[in-house]
Amino acid sequence: MFDASVPRLQRVTGRAEVTLLAAPGRAARLDRLAQAGSAKAFLPRVHAAAPEVVFLNTAGGLTGGDRLAYALGLGPGARAVATTQTAERAYGSTGGRARLEVDLDIGAGAALDWLPQETILFDASALDRRTRADLGAGARFLMTESLVLGRQAMGERVTRLELDDWREVRREGRPVLIEPLRLTDAALGDRPALLAGARALATVALVAPGAEDATGAVRAAIDGLPDGVVAAASGWDGKCVVRLRAADGWPLRGALARLLSVLRGGAALPRVWQGAA
Amino acid sequence: MSESGLLALVQWLSPSFPLGSFAWSQGLEWAIAEGHVSDRAALETWLGDLIDHGGLGIDAVLVARALDPGADHEGLAATARALAPTRERLAETEEQGAALSRTVAALTGQALPAAPLPVALGRAAAPLGLPAERVVALYLQSAASALVLAAVRFVPLGQTEGQAALAALAPRIEAAARRALETPLSGLGSAALGADMASAWHEDMEVRIFKS
Repeated sequence: MFDASVPRLQRVTGRAEVTLLAAPGRAARLDRLAQAGSAKAFLPRVHAAAPEVVFLNTAGGLTGGDRLAYALGLGPGARAVATTQTAERAYGSTGGRARLEVDLDIGAGAALDWLPQETILFDASALDRRTRADLGAGARFLMTESLVLGRQAMGERVTRLELDDWREVRREGRPVLIEPLRLTDAALGDRPALLAGARALATVALVAPGAEDATGAVRAAIDGLPDGVVAAASGWDGKCVVRLRAADGWPLRGALARLLSVLRGGAALPRVWQGAA
Repeated sequence: MSESGLLALVQWLSPSFPLGSFAWSQGLEWAIAEGHVSDRAALETWLGDLIDHGGLGIDAVLVARALDPGADHEGLAATARALAPTRERLAETEEQGAALSRTVAALTGQALPAAPLPVALGRAAAPLGLPAERVVALYLQSAASALVLAAVRFVPLGQTEGQAALAALAPRIEAAARRALETPLSGLGSAALGADMASAWHEDMEVRIFKS
């Protein structure tokens, strides 16, 4: 078991890149897969219309000075689902920040569901993450990003934190959704405009022509979420954005599974998500 | 620095300038209705968090960057729209920004296309020759003042209590204005998940006074 208190001397670096192209009458096919260092990507065999891409950090977590990059390109008209093999872990830093870059290039008329598993932030972690999605005309993009502050079951408390988690979606070069999440020591705690004491939080965003029409169904699903999770949805201008807060990671996972099912027409979550309620 | 520039800015940011700012609450109405903001201390916490960790801090940076010589106002407007966390927050900044651009253009003859409020204000104020820090601080004070007024009406809160909350925020407004001058767009950040969710829930309130 990795001990977060022991500094790891070797820096982790890695880059994994995948490109998929539409194949007429069939699921999109792999065009290119390149991987270096601790970043890996693979395509498990799935029986679905869209292939699944799974990214993986073989170092098992991130700490100060680490540099990791994932890139995924979908050619025009291609469809895919992408996720991460496990929850990402940002361990306490003994100096410097970890950087994770995610670049998603979604061609005209293509569709990507970007469904990474949660990122667990340990006390004193320092992480810079930039997730950028570039959409072509008519492309559809579904994104979920979730964060868990320590693991409640392990009695972990997070009081020191430097997180910059920038999420940006562009369509044909113009920004359409920017969420510059920044969590610092001063913003933690139980204040109603901020985290309101939540240990787990998530954003789900659908960016697609007509995405705002999904808001009604999403709000109906929110009304049925179990205690311990609250969620709020807004829809406008080709976007449906849902934000969630929960007491811990586990109820958040269950809530995400419900909402993603609504937004994905009932499609099952990637198998690596198994265990979500 | 010209007195006439300062007078113009204070006029544009005053409650009598026809932006309709009294109609918007950035989700504060929901927070009041749910009991999260029920007294002066809670109001100060809510507003202080918006300034230090939320949407008002982001607005401050947008004003500062719109004041920069050679600023790309079209690009800033697109960024400001993409930053709006909900439908109502976008409407709030777009409608007030359009009203400000329209009215200042009518008064000064400047060509001012509609833009979200902080970008519109920064662009209109650029020719006034005022120190950027002062423009940003007055913008923040005006935005916080509009929310104080909402709380005074809806909590309800005594007028003096509301003004005491605003006065107590002055050091944080000054600090946020100073920070904004040094912050590039790529350095924006917000932890105001609660305020963003409040705005989304506000869209669903059956009985409401404010448009956001």
